[in-house]
Amino acid sequence: MGFSISEKARQRLEELKKRYPKPQSAVMSALYIVQEEHGHISDEAIDWISGEVGLKPVHVLELATFYTMYRRKPLGKYHVQVCRTLSCALCGAKKLMEKMQERYGIAPGQVSEDGMFSYEYVECLGSCGTAPMCEINDTYFENLTPEKFEELLVRIEKEQPDLSLSTIEGKLGEGLSGCPKSEVM
Amino acid sequence: MAKHKQILLKNIREEGQHLLEKAESRGAYKVIRKALEMDPLKIIDEVKNSGLRGRGGAGFPTGLKWSFVPRDTGKPVYLINNADESEPGTFKDRLLLENDPHLVIEGMLCAAWALQSEWSCIYIRGEYAYPYTRVQAAIDECYEKGYLGENIFGTNFTHHMVVHRGAGAYICGEETALLNSLEGKKGQPRLKPPFPAVAGYYACPTVINNVESLSNIPFIIENGGEAYKSIGVENSAGTKLVSASGHINKPGIYEIEMGYPLMDFIEDECGGVRDGHNLLAVIPGGSSVPVMRAEECKGVNLDYDSMKNAGSSLGCAGFMVMDDSTDVVEAVLNLSHFYSHESCGQCTPCREGGHWIEKIFRRIAEGNGMPGDLKLIESLCNQIGGHTICAFGDTMVLPYRSFIQKFEKEFKERISNVLKGVEHERVPMDFQSELVSIGSAH
Amino acid sequence: MAEELVTLTIDEQEVQVPKGTNLIEAAKQLGTEVPYYCYHPHLSVPGNCRMCQLEVEGAPKLMVGCHTQAQDGMKVRTQRTSQAVKDAQASTLEMILINHPLDCTVCDQAGHCKLQDYHYEYNAKPSRFLEQKEHKPKAVPLGETVMLDAERCIACTRCVRFCDEVTETGEIGLVNRGDRVTIAVKEGHELSNALSGTVVDLCPVGALTHKKWRFNTRIWYTKSTDAICPGCSTGCNVKVYERDGQVVQVKARLNEDVNKEWLCDEGRYGFGRFLPELRITEALTCESGQPVPCDYTEALKGLSSLSSPKTLVLLSPQLFVEEYALLTALKEKALANASFVVAYRERELSDVEKILVSPDYAANYKGALFAGLPEAADEKALEDKYTRALGQLKVGAFDQVLLLGDHALAPVDIDDKEIQEALGKAHTVGALSHLGSALLSSVDVVLPAQTILEQSGLLINRGDRLQYSSASVPAVKGALPIWRIIGDISKQLGSEIVSARSDRDLTLSYLGAEKRLEGLTIAQVKKGGVCIKTYSPQSAGADVKDPSDEVRA
Repeated sequence: MGFSISEKARQRLEELKKRYPKPQSAVMSALYIVQEEHGHISDEAIDWISGEVGLKPVHVLELATFYTMYRRKPLGKYHVQVCRTLSCALCGAKKLMEKMQERYGIAPGQVSEDGMFSYEYVECLGSCGTAPMCEINDTYFENLTPEKFEELLVRIEKEQPDLSLSTIEGKLGEGLSGCPKSEVM
Repeated sequence: MAKHKQILLKNIREEGQHLLEKAESRGAYKVIRKALEMDPLKIIDEVKNSGLRGRGGAGFPTGLKWSFVPRDTGKPVYLINNADESEPGTFKDRLLLENDPHLVIEGMLCAAWALQSEWSCIYIRGEYAYPYTRVQAAIDECYEKGYLGENIFGTNFTHHMVVHRGAGAYICGEETALLNSLEGKKGQPRLKPPFPAVAGYYACPTVINNVESLSNIPFIIENGGEAYKSIGVENSAGTKLVSASGHINKPGIYEIEMGYPLMDFIEDECGGVRDGHNLLAVIPGGSSVPVMRAEECKGVNLDYDSMKNAGSSLGCAGFMVMDDSTDVVEAVLNLSHFYSHESCGQCTPCREGGHWIEKIFRRIAEGNGMPGDLKLIESLCNQIGGHTICAFGDTMVLPYRSFIQKFEKEFKERISNVLKGVEHERVPMDFQSELVSIGSAH
Repeated sequence: MAEELVTLTIDEQEVQVPKGTNLIEAAKQLGTEVPYYCYHPHLSVPGNCRMCQLEVEGAPKLMVGCHTQAQDGMKVRTQRTSQAVKDAQASTLEMILINHPLDCTVCDQAGHCKLQDYHYEYNAKPSRFLEQKEHKPKAVPLGETVMLDAERCIACTRCVRFCDEVTETGEIGLVNRGDRVTIAVKEGHELSNALSGTVVDLCPVGALTHKKWRFNTRIWYTKSTDAICPGCSTGCNVKVYERDGQVVQVKARLNEDVNKEWLCDEGRYGFGRFLPELRITEALTCESGQPVPCDYTEALKGLSSLSSPKTLVLLSPQLFVEEYALLTALKEKALANASFVVAYRERELSDVEKILVSPDYAANYKGALFAGLPEAADEKALEDKYTRALGQLKVGAFDQVLLLGDHALAPVDIDDKEIQEALGKAHTVGALSHLGSALLSSVDVVLPAQTILEQSGLLINRGDRLQYSSASVPAVKGALPIWRIIGDISKQLGSEIVSARSDRDLTLSYLGAEKRLEGLTIAQVKKGGVCIKTYSPQSAGADVKDPSDEVRA
């Protein structure tokens, strides 16, 4: 089975490659683009990227396994990443995680039966002043409490908002209506 | 609250500041026009005179860094804005990128002119999706207006700017790891020399500055280095963004003048520790600096020298406050997991030692500590610090050592409880994240 | 071009080295070993193992010797005089070993493992690590030739860098991060290049092993010899491990001027082809293709007709320099009319092969040229001469043929029917080593020869470097060194040209007699070889002495 990618994605990668002194600098974007279209980075995808940016396949594989935001296997439609590092931990991040387990009966890395949710603990997301917090796909949700977190999950289940950053389109999804995209101050 | 001079956050709360039109109405891109008429070397001198020190954590003088760039190599000079803000406790750059991206871009343009660089890049951590879209939109606006691209502002100067997204690796905040990452390699630090100023991005002269450092440049050019130096204290010029988090009433980002008393900062800006609790400790500079007990904080000021004399460091001012409800054993275990998770795996002491220490802290927290454990950790800290390729190893051991030294009683108690058979009811603060990316191949 | 030198002290001893030399190499000049894993003189420097940390006066912390260049006036301390360096080395070893499985009892590398050696030398303390070790994939084939045990890997990245920088095939990577890092190949892009086995040599531990030789023997039951690979005229320096008369492993030896520390797979894994199983251990006569044992002296008697002008002497390009010299004497004294030809043929190489391999199967054709046997200006002339001779043979121009060595015909020519026929018609005598040789059917008389692996002697590589290869396996009983056969033939034809009683005797008498190599000793040649183009007796270092230079009584 061959690897396929949309013409739009291909063009976007071409455009990004031109921004750098050398095309291999665009390899991280290429990985994002593939992940966006396929949900994860397969072996075939790595070979394709290798040819596009001029890196050996194993060196593309290195990147896919070194950086935590690349996925080698499919995850839930909504991937919840709860920050576990000190400030969030001090402010009760653990309780958020327990909610995930409680609500979906899955362990980190597992996908809920309906394919909607998966979750993992991640390291500091740079949102310590609004701890605890989580990132769902590419959108931050801050100043959470277990209750607010549960409400959030209920709304996501119902509204199914676009929470992802599209590298191909160059824009972030609309998000959840009424939820601020940033609360950093 | 305007008792501190506001250089960076002056317009941050203003409506629509992220848009070019609004930002420009409040003075954005005035300074770059002035700068483009100045001798680039004069700008470097002004920055040198200003006493501005790198805000990424190391505090290296920015002007001096710029002056290391050779000007006659025939190779392009690259400017990289390090926006890989990943130090636990730090979230200041995100604020600037999100809400005043034009200040950041103008700072970069000034630096680019000073360095005669025609290409710059903002390396932004991958998780910062929203700030990324804000910065990219601001750049797009600039291209449309002729503020970026060929012959900017009608001069002969050409400058292109790219935003590059990281993908989840703390180590890419280390400047040579960042360069490798930007070259399409794993983010693993390089051996030095050569230093990036001489051979950086694709072996060309490269300057890497933090977002906050670059955002100070317009003020320095507009008002002169002396004016900047007059703010703050000796060896610590200007203002500093402090990211305050943890057990305080008003967490957030504050722009303070260097030299501001630490306790005043907690009480006045941060609104004190949570009601019903007392201050236990502060990690003042981001997680990679020594922890300070409450009693050590008195009389200490938020500037490079005072913090250093107090045995800690200003770092990048990721100010994490812990009140007396904190279990310090759990706290340091939490940090040790962060460091072992983020070790790039390149050199032996950090790759192996970092994980080893985490395992020992975990054992202690879980009630399986042994009498020699603290000595063992201390010894491992000595074996890591000073023996690694990059500063990651050097700084990782600072919180470990200081936690053990300053909370020796708590650690010993936990260990001796085990021996006495006393049960300690654990309230785990730590939970392990997947060691590598969740879907990793092996 | 004079090199700029810098003077520094290492452990208070002064040493001068060329500018740009790193501290590991500078210390080597004083005979001080600075231990290292990741460094290799012919690969880029990653500085990741941290084993070579040294104290440099004025530096705020220890410096890695691999990445620190010697400077004028630098004061360096190694483990000999610095406690800090000793501690750092012990510490590094402790760290490296915490996740290592310590399965030395079943590890092929045991006995030639840098972890064992250095731990014994520089740490030798029990581990303080009480936790669970990380577990990683084991027995993973990286390709046709090499197996990986990821738990033994210390992430030095030598194999990664070799494939990136030398072969530029880039098959190997280091995936994941932190203490989970693992060597890997990308599915569908296995380790597959002409030098692939070299990564096993480069691996300082037991993480990479040869599929061909895994679990075949403990290394301490083997005898190792410094030899030269006879596979082609590159003359790669190798260490050959022998047990019970069999080659059980071949490693590259570092030689800056020849093969660095690389070796091609054909040479390495094909080493056994120079040691065939079915050996000829007595003289044979062949009647209608069937070899029948005969008396060696009787067999020699059939050679008196060689002095005819219709004699062709076909020489293997894998004889030793000394043997070619004897043949020159034989030609002068008894076979002035015969044609002497070396079986030299060029072949096509792949891009990766070109990095190391020479386009021939003629290890010592340069030795034949050096001896003037035959007289040929270059490789092309040499090949032409050989081709022409075979053409003449086919049309019946020769009625006497002497084949010296198993490769007296190039591999492609052995199977040539016309040549076989022509040999069958002529009176053909061959000094051959194995019963499986296709030549056997067309040879009338066979003299039992040793193979190149059983003999010691001098070889000259394509780059005019004179090198010494030691016999790496004991000779099979009954087989004779080719030089002795040459001597016996000569005696049969009326002149004594050999008085040596051993390979060593022969080499020493050759070196003593050859004016162009005057003053040269075996020991000097053994030390990386000597370029015959630039050698002059004055430049010979008289300080190099080796027991092998003493003539045995």
